Amino acid sequence: MPQRSPQFSSSAKLKYVKLGYQYLVNHFLTCLLVPTIAMILVQAIQLGPNEISNFWNSLQFDLIKILCSSFFITFVSILFFMSRPRGVYLIDYACYKPPISCRVPFSTFMEHSRIILSSEPKSVEFQMRILERSGLGEETCLPPAIHYIPPEPNMESARKEAEMVIFSAMDSLFKKTGVKPKDIDILIVNCSLFSPTPSLSAMVINKYKMRGNIKSFNLSGMGCSAGLISIDLARDLLEVHPKSIAVVVSTEIITPNYYRGKDRSMLLPNCLFRMGGAAILLSNRWWADQWRAKYKLLHVVRTHKGADDKSYRCVFELEDSEGKTGISLSKDLMAIAGEALKSNITTIGPLVLPPSEQLLFLFSSIGRKVFNLKLKPYIPDFKQAFEHFCIHAGGRAVIDELQKKLQLSAEHVEASRMTLHQFGNTSSSSLWYELSYTEAKGRMKKGDRVWQIAFGSGFKCNSAVWKCNKTIKTPSDGPWSDCIHKYPVYIPEVVKL
Amino acid sequence: MVSSKSEEGLIYNIKLSSVGPARVTGQDVVYEPSNMDLAMKLHYLRGIYYFDSQAFQDITIYNIKEPMFLWFNYYYMTNGRFRRAESGRPYIKCNDCGARFIEAQCDKTLEEWLEMKDGTLEKLLVSNQVLGPELAFSPPILIQHTKFKCGGIALGLSWAHVLGDIFSATEFWNVLGKVVGGYNPPRPINLAHSLTKANSTQTLQKIVEDPLSIKRVDPVEDHWIAKNSCKMETFSIHVSATKLGHLQSRTDIQGPFESVCAVIWQSISRIRDGPGPQVVTICKKGEEKKDGLVGNTQVIGVVKVDYSIREANPSELARLIKHEIIDERLKIDEAIEKERGVSDVVIYGANLTFVSLEGADLYGFDWMGHKPMNVNYLIDGVGEAGTVLVLPAGPNDTEGRIVTMILPEDEIMKLKFELNKEWSIA
Repeated sequence: MPQRSPQFSSSAKLKYVKLGYQYLVNHFLTCLLVPTIAMILVQAIQLGPNEISNFWNSLQFDLIKILCSSFFITFVSILFFMSRPRGVYLIDYACYKPPISCRVPFSTFMEHSRIILSSEPKSVEFQMRILERSGLGEETCLPPAIHYIPPEPNMESARKEAEMVIFSAMDSLFKKTGVKPKDIDILIVNCSLFSPTPSLSAMVINKYKMRGNIKSFNLSGMGCSAGLISIDLARDLLEVHPKSIAVVVSTEIITPNYYRGKDRSMLLPNCLFRMGGAAILLSNRWWADQWRAKYKLLHVVRTHKGADDKSYRCVFELEDSEGKTGISLSKDLMAIAGEALKSNITTIGPLVLPPSEQLLFLFSSIGRKVFNLKLKPYIPDFKQAFEHFCIHAGGRAVIDELQKKLQLSAEHVEASRMTLHQFGNTSSSSLWYELSYTEAKGRMKKGDRVWQIAFGSGFKCNSAVWKCNKTIKTPSDGPWSDCIHKYPVYIPEVVKL
Repeated sequence: MVSSKSEEGLIYNIKLSSVGPARVTGQDVVYEPSNMDLAMKLHYLRGIYYFDSQAFQDITIYNIKEPMFLWFNYYYMTNGRFRRAESGRPYIKCNDCGARFIEAQCDKTLEEWLEMKDGTLEKLLVSNQVLGPELAFSPPILIQHTKFKCGGIALGLSWAHVLGDIFSATEFWNVLGKVVGGYNPPRPINLAHSLTKANSTQTLQKIVEDPLSIKRVDPVEDHWIAKNSCKMETFSIHVSATKLGHLQSRTDIQGPFESVCAVIWQSISRIRDGPGPQVVTICKKGEEKKDGLVGNTQVIGVVKVDYSIREANPSELARLIKHEIIDERLKIDEAIEKERGVSDVVIYGANLTFVSLEGADLYGFDWMGHKPMNVNYLIDGVGEAGTVLVLPAGPNDTEGRIVTMILPEDEIMKLKFELNKEWSIA
């Protein structure tokens, strides 16, 4: 078609120009060095072998000089390598798979809601509409105490749920890695809404009879992004304490947090939050674990918007007018999440983006700020920095928003959407289910970079960047082993109940 | 869900939850009850299985619920909810909503409970819920777990008769025992995704007369229980094997069911005015193998006489019951079909009804090898003419029969007197 070919050839030309630009900028040093070395070689050949040997003799090498120079070079190299931060490796991780008896189909959830909230048909109707559009599937799980009509959240059942989830994940982790509980040097447990005394980390230490000098930490109240905060803490500790391994347990205990009132802004978590947990083994013993570690931690970037009042209050635990405790979600949640993401990207961009993208971003910023040109703010193409994305499955809206903002394809957000469908919003552990999905699909190859992004109350946006250390074979166990063959599924906008 | 059980004080600490299939049954799976099934929709079976304290020692509620999830993978249709098609014909949407699970406790020991021998108390051990008034949110199956002070357990099964007859219900329950023992039921096959019966446009050529075995009741709409003008009461008697032998010799017929029926038929005719019920309905196990996992396939027939029952020879009555049943299943099917499945009828209690549980494997259930020490079944939603159930008293024939009579309350005392006087069995 004569009309299309000039357009086609111009867009093809643009593509090649773009590729050429990217190659030039990203491999700038190579582009600089290669011609330089070529020039030197040419010069050397022109000089001839005699001239070169005369030049070599004039340098007057003797034994002492050689020894001193090599000693000096060795000394500097050792100093250099010693002062570099130790790598933190992720040896393996295990995600909790709830038992079949905890399954909650939509119809059961709605029927229970109608009976429990029989005096509030509008609230029931609201819950149904949320569920229809939630992106959850029919196999998400709630703990046994919440299956009762009305639910029976008490401390004993909350502890039981914690034991069920955490111990199961840890047993699985120990089996996979062969590590013994007594070898653990650092233990970090994060669970936002259930914080008993003694802490959950003490519960783990008691169950597995860990060492007396273990460094244990229990993070509570830090929301869905606490998983990455724990990873950050583990990394800092592993940099200070040599030859150590750390276990991070991320979970959210649903039992005590079932909202029993009728305030609509507080009913949403009931519909979305589900049982889940993950246990992760990290190590700084590169000589022992480098060969078997799955990932290497490259960066952790934490952004806190708490200084802004609106952000601080957008996910807030409070008592409703009847004195019932629940988590209130503000209507500005998506906008605030967008802002937090922007801050996070601004920090992480320079660390991960290839120079070509950074340069473009720089030019665009200069153009807009200094020269006041009417340019759209340039959003760097993060697809060039990462092969896989794990976006916290906080809800369909979060994933949609991030897909739009970061211009990601459906395949990039597939892990997040399918995790939301199969497991629901499991809070801080959802990132690990998503990573597990990518592995189960056989997509994780050596050298692939993964970006985990989580949002949480505060309002926080935390990111972690991992690099795949070895190509991962499709695991035979894991939370996806019995259902990965069904995925990906098409999730309609509205599921008719 | 407030039940009057707590008012009794005997049963307390009641907790409700749901159990459903472990696996997603599928998108838009439907199950269409047959015409015979719909004819039985106003009736409910209540089964109670008693276990001694050893059977469930150290077994938690969680251990009891877990195998049920696998069990329901197979019997997925029992976990759906009723909807109505555009034509008004009910069908089950297999949405995995689940069966209701009720936990309760009792301060009496199992022995003390059984000694009380009060028929009405037994109803506390099984849910008396019916389908409706909100059909879409009414579970067709309810299971109650009652723990006695001694550790004995009673498991009560509430089964909507629209799903199937007692032979289906007992088979369903026995499969649970097998699943507990490790049996993995196969994946259900032939799942239907579209309605065929509801959308059939077949019209019947002739207007048929209603069969004798059904009685039309006032429209119940979505609340599937018929209203009787009088209150129905239940009472049971245990007829030992020796007594059965006596009855059989007096009625000249080899057949415990037939002898018992003849005796009671005559006794009832004596306590009622007039010649007595000249038409009775007989229900017993059908010979044909049924199509699906569950269904109403029992024989429903009538025995008609045109003479007075009071003075009749019981042997003759017993002979009629054994050999001269007029099978009305086809007629019932046509009667329901001609109204496209929306008719409201009762079968049990339309006439005086005798139901034989012979062939129902009541004691075929076991929990990890522990068999129930006693099994009893009741029927709810019985019409005013009354119903008599004859079930085995124990796993062996030598233990005799339990005869449960569901009659208007003012007839009970008179019947007891008559049975005692004439036959010494009450």
